Amino acid sequence: MCGIAGIVYKDGKLHNIGNDMTNMLNALQHRGPDSAGFALYGGLGLKDDEYILNIQLENNSKKLLRTVKDEINMVSPIESDKLMFTTENSCLYQCKIQLDEFNMLKPLIQDVDSIDDKVVVINGEHGFQMIKDVGSVLDIADNYDTRSIKGTHGIGHTRFSTESGVDLYHAHPFQTYILRDVSLVHNGQITNYWKVRDALERKGHIFETNNDTECLVHYIADKISTGYSLEEALEQSVENMDGPFSYIVATPNGIGIAKDKLGLRPGVMAENDEIFAIASEEVSLGQVIDTSEVEQIYPGEVRVFEI
Amino acid sequence: MANEIEIDASSLTPRELNSKIKEYAKKFDKIIIKNPGAEHYLVAGLVDDTSIVIEGSAGYFAGTMLDKGNITINGNAGWFVGDNMTSGEIVVNGSAGDGAGQGIYGGTVVVRKGVGSRTGEIMKGGTVIIGGDSGFMTGIFMMGGRMIILGNLGADAAESIIRGEIFVLGDVQSLGKNAIIIDITDDDKKELKEILEHYDFELDDEDYDKFTKIIPESARPIYGK
Repeated sequence: MCGIAGIVYKDGKLHNIGNDMTNMLNALQHRGPDSAGFALYGGLGLKDDEYILNIQLENNSKKLLRTVKDEINMVSPIESDKLMFTTENSCLYQCKIQLDEFNMLKPLIQDVDSIDDKVVVINGEHGFQMIKDVGSVLDIADNYDTRSIKGTHGIGHTRFSTESGVDLYHAHPFQTYILRDVSLVHNGQITNYWKVRDALERKGHIFETNNDTECLVHYIADKISTGYSLEEALEQSVENMDGPFSYIVATPNGIGIAKDKLGLRPGVMAENDEIFAIASEEVSLGQVIDTSEVEQIYPGEVRVFEI
Repeated sequence: MANEIEIDASSLTPRELNSKIKEYAKKFDKIIIKNPGAEHYLVAGLVDDTSIVIEGSAGYFAGTMLDKGNITINGNAGWFVGDNMTSGEIVVNGSAGDGAGQGIYGGTVVVRKGVGSRTGEIMKGGTVIIGGDSGFMTGIFMMGGRMIILGNLGADAAESIIRGEIFVLGDVQSLGKNAIIIDITDDDKKELKEILEHYDFELDDEDYDKFTKIIPESARPIYGK
């Protein structure tokens, strides 16, 4: 089933997005108990060439952590770092690095990923914070102090797994490295996945999983990188993707939703002068906005709000 | 004054709330539900002739399998409001999601504003009234009953309709298979006026001339005449 939600504060200023998104996702907990995640934009405040890597180490091996740090330091000196623990008590290493070019990020992630099977780079971020884990929304929010995070816009997900594993890596959001800071949450299945993936791989885009959500986020980033607006990219996806789906994509500028042509997955939205909000169900919208005027997202429809 | 009681739903699961409603429905004429929180399955399976007022929005399957009672939702409803109801009445004083009146056998579902897609899918009887637009494949596999849409109808209206009729005041984007448009009769207009006035929809007399009526072209579109 899965639950998806997104919010934009129209004034472009920092708001309590961590708290709002936690409440929105908690209201969608019944749609997916396996894992949950957030992509919260605007509050990280990094310099233009700074990035944060989130790396999961399945065991708390000091030797393995040292190897990871050495690998990263060969490309960029680690500016700062910290160790956290996931909800299942594995080690989550977070470090801030500096890269001259964004296109150095993906090769670095691949290098770190190849160190050991027990090392998985969850993501590399610049303009947003990716928080995702297995378990309930509230447990994850508590574990990562999500409620304290400020931001301008964001998306989130509660997962009911139907394909691929239930683990931190396969929790949504998914991120692409075709463009900086594009992430996506998804409710549904892309049934022509291999056909879409094949075309993207022929263009040189790298897939890390067999998950259809990864395919979607690469697809959207590929479209935007070739000149489409976010809205046009979403419209193209409705034409090119088969299967039941409803997904929300976030960029540094805003969020957008697309729904399959048969409208087989839900989506509702509401907005006022301050907020634009989207979710799978009204119960989620009601956490952040008056829901007396809820709009249905119709089959094949896309909606976008950019700051 | 009616014999009525109020339930605060804020700390109840849908199952707990529905159990209370069934218990109180045997003792009270009217039950007011506060803080429904857009939860799913509200007032599922009510079989007593009781008035239920939901003060706020309901989630999916509000009033599913209703028989005899009447439900007023002073908010919106999610997907499948009134699903499989057999008699009674549900009035949504807001909008609703997909599948409003799905599979109803009897009774009336009224939504004051617009609804999502596949309204009245596989309905077998009863009446569905939508005050605004209704989306894609409204009336898909409809097997009886009538629908009245005061706004516009989305694409593939009445897809594979077998029996029943859909009256539309606005535009019809396109028809589905086995659906045709015919002129409405004076009896149809009288019937529409009667039921719409009953539910406080205010239309001018000339509006009734503007309705389009959609019916099945054949009762046996797949296996022959």
